[in-house]
Amino acid sequence: VKEFVALSTRDRIRAIRDLAMSFEEKKHIRWVLTDKQLNLYCYTCNKLHSQSLRRCGYSIRSARQTLELWQGIMKEIGGKFGTSVLSYFLFLKWLLMFNIFSFLINFGFITIPLLVYDPSPNIPPNVSFRGLEILTGAGYFNYTVMYYGGYSNETLIGLVDYNMQLAYFFTIAVYMVLCGIALIFSMASSFKENYVLADTVSNSAWQLLCSWDFSITNERAVRQRKNNLRVQLKESLSERAQRELLTLSEKLKHFGVHLGSWLLSTGLAVGCGASIYYLYAANWSLLQEAETLLVPFVVSLMNLVVPLFYSLFNKFEHYSSLGRQIYALVVRNVLLKMSILAVLCYYWMNVVAEKFSCWESMVGQALYRLVIVDFLFLMLGSFFGEFLSNVIGTRLLPRLGVPEFDVARNVLELIYAQTLAWIGIYFSPLLPAIQILKFFILFYLKKVSLTQNCQPPRRTGRAAQMQTIFIALLFFPFFVGALSIVAYTAWRLTPSEQCGPFRGLNNTFSVVGVWIDDLQEIPASQWVVWIYQNVIRSEIFYFLITLIIIVIIYIFWQVTQGRKQLIGQLRQQIVNVSVLHP
Amino acid sequence: MGNKQTIFTAQQLDAYQDCTYFTRKEILRLFDRYRDLAPQLVPLDYTNHPDVKLPYELIGSMPELKDNPFRQRIAEVFSEDGEGNMTLDDFLDMFSVLSEMAPRDLKASYAFKIYDFNNDDFICKSDLEKTLNRLTRNELTEDEVRMVCEKVIDEADLDNDGRLSLEDFQHMIVRAPDFLSTFHIRI
Repeated sequence: VKEFVALSTRDRIRAIRDLAMSFEEKKHIRWVLTDKQLNLYCYTCNKLHSQSLRRCGYSIRSARQTLELWQGIMKEIGGKFGTSVLSYFLFLKWLLMFNIFSFLINFGFITIPLLVYDPSPNIPPNVSFRGLEILTGAGYFNYTVMYYGGYSNETLIGLVDYNMQLAYFFTIAVYMVLCGIALIFSMASSFKENYVLADTVSNSAWQLLCSWDFSITNERAVRQRKNNLRVQLKESLSERAQRELLTLSEKLKHFGVHLGSWLLSTGLAVGCGASIYYLYAANWSLLQEAETLLVPFVVSLMNLVVPLFYSLFNKFEHYSSLGRQIYALVVRNVLLKMSILAVLCYYWMNVVAEKFSCWESMVGQALYRLVIVDFLFLMLGSFFGEFLSNVIGTRLLPRLGVPEFDVARNVLELIYAQTLAWIGIYFSPLLPAIQILKFFILFYLKKVSLTQNCQPPRRTGRAAQMQTIFIALLFFPFFVGALSIVAYTAWRLTPSEQCGPFRGLNNTFSVVGVWIDDLQEIPASQWVVWIYQNVIRSEIFYFLITLIIIVIIYIFWQVTQGRKQLIGQLRQQIVNVSVLHP
Repeated sequence: MGNKQTIFTAQQLDAYQDCTYFTRKEILRLFDRYRDLAPQLVPLDYTNHPDVKLPYELIGSMPELKDNPFRQRIAEVFSEDGEGNMTLDDFLDMFSVLSEMAPRDLKASYAFKIYDFNNDDFICKSDLEKTLNRLTRNELTEDEVRMVCEKVIDEADLDNDGRLSLEDFQHMIVRAPDFLSTFHIRI
């Protein structure tokens, strides 16, 4: 209790909560501390002030809880299927938040000023709304605020002077930076808590004492878990009996099979990319509405079918642990999706940007089509992946059994869908709205499919590790790739002459240069000009920052090495002490 | 919405919010769940600290707990009398520790108490055998049970005294990142 007196009020409350004592004892300690404070310092107003602050904090927390989405459904899914399946739905909810935020700021800062200033879009007279626009995104939508082309480059005179160019640029830049920061923070905290390099899953102690999922509330699921645990324990007992030593020829055979599968899968990925390039090159001249859907159709078909081939290869290969198997599958799928996205972006940046007049809107439409067709294929994939597997597994081939929910494949599809939205924000500011609808419907679809068609996973464990890997994947190839595409577009490519907020400029980034030149007239904002010229535009600054960061990383690395040694020594000390004092 | 409840005084609610990880709304909702188990036993007015204990049978029949193989141990660990009969304070404490906001060390120390069937502050072989039987419906043979328990002690016992102390257990938990999400009951 004495050490609690020295802490600040907030730390004290946290320390009281973290005590492993019964409720009565905690209340007693709390009473002693608060009353003692009252007697010792006689700061009655201080006590009331801190208490009202705490109450304020609690009511904010309460209010935030009312906004929580889907709590009941999450509880139901967690209760029946466990935490690893629940992590997919939590990931989906998290991505939905990104899109809601993006939609709100895009709509608020870019679209609403334009709509207030000029409520009627200037559509040419012979274009009217037909139903096909919802699928292709062209036609009527081309002239609305859906795409880059619908925005003007003027300074809107109204209550205040609203510079559309700056607004467009800064909204998107700030959103991307905030996304990046949020991703880095969640990745770092996930690494800190979850990523343990030792493979503890095959450890009996872990299986017995740490792996039971207390949140499962369904009797059948509990029975199934008990069965699985029993099977796993028996397996690990028998593994101890026969640790197989492979002969050299067997090792060579396994190596050959691995090499073959990797070559095949990389070849498939490259082949898909190349075929999409040629398809695009041959077809772009066909601007008729329905035929523009061909390329997204082929892309989504490849995304659906090729991972099934990868799973097939996986069955023929022999892996030393389940973890390695899952990692190999994930890496191959990521390679496939990255190669498809890379080819698409290359085509858009190099060919479309040269050929067409309002090319940003064209790219925006292409992305819109990709998003819509991807959604349709996700629904189809749910149907084939889960419903048909269930039917086949229960009626036709009972040996296969009821399918499990493949968390890895579904999360990768979510990551791919989100990357499309991130690339598309620059070209089509209202694309997040479509994405919000898509994720919303997808949540309910997957939930129904899960409860009707799937059984809980047989092998438990490593859910936290997989979650860390997925967040890391979301950040590293996918978000960074989307950010580089948008940055390349803003920096190197010439905006189109006839449409959009940046017409007439050499590149998008020069908007900032123009603004800084304007600001130099105003004496009160000289500090902004100074920051721009000496910090953002100077190379020495970045060089120095990089050097400092490298030095800090090196220091932290050495500290970690030292700590590892210390842990080894302490562990040895525990053993020594127990030997001396049994 | 607002401060219009008459079940607790403001000080009581403050004490609950400070000592558990729940917000005001959750505490009131949990009180409703507690009362639903036995409406005739639980009064609607807690301002004069009534001494009401719900017997274990009612607690163990809650949908969140009724299929959990460790429900009896959970109730015993969190109840004041050690028999599983819980007051409202014990009830709130239990779900607070099992909620997702409780830190890992707190959960680890309570998980240790749950697995320690004979309450001697060590998880010995008999405790492990009982845990294993709860988790596998008595379907392993005697030999297999013995081998698994020996393997567990081999792997987790750091100070080589043949049984697991709280520090051994916590050391194992640190290397099991899923523990935070599996030792979690949603209510």
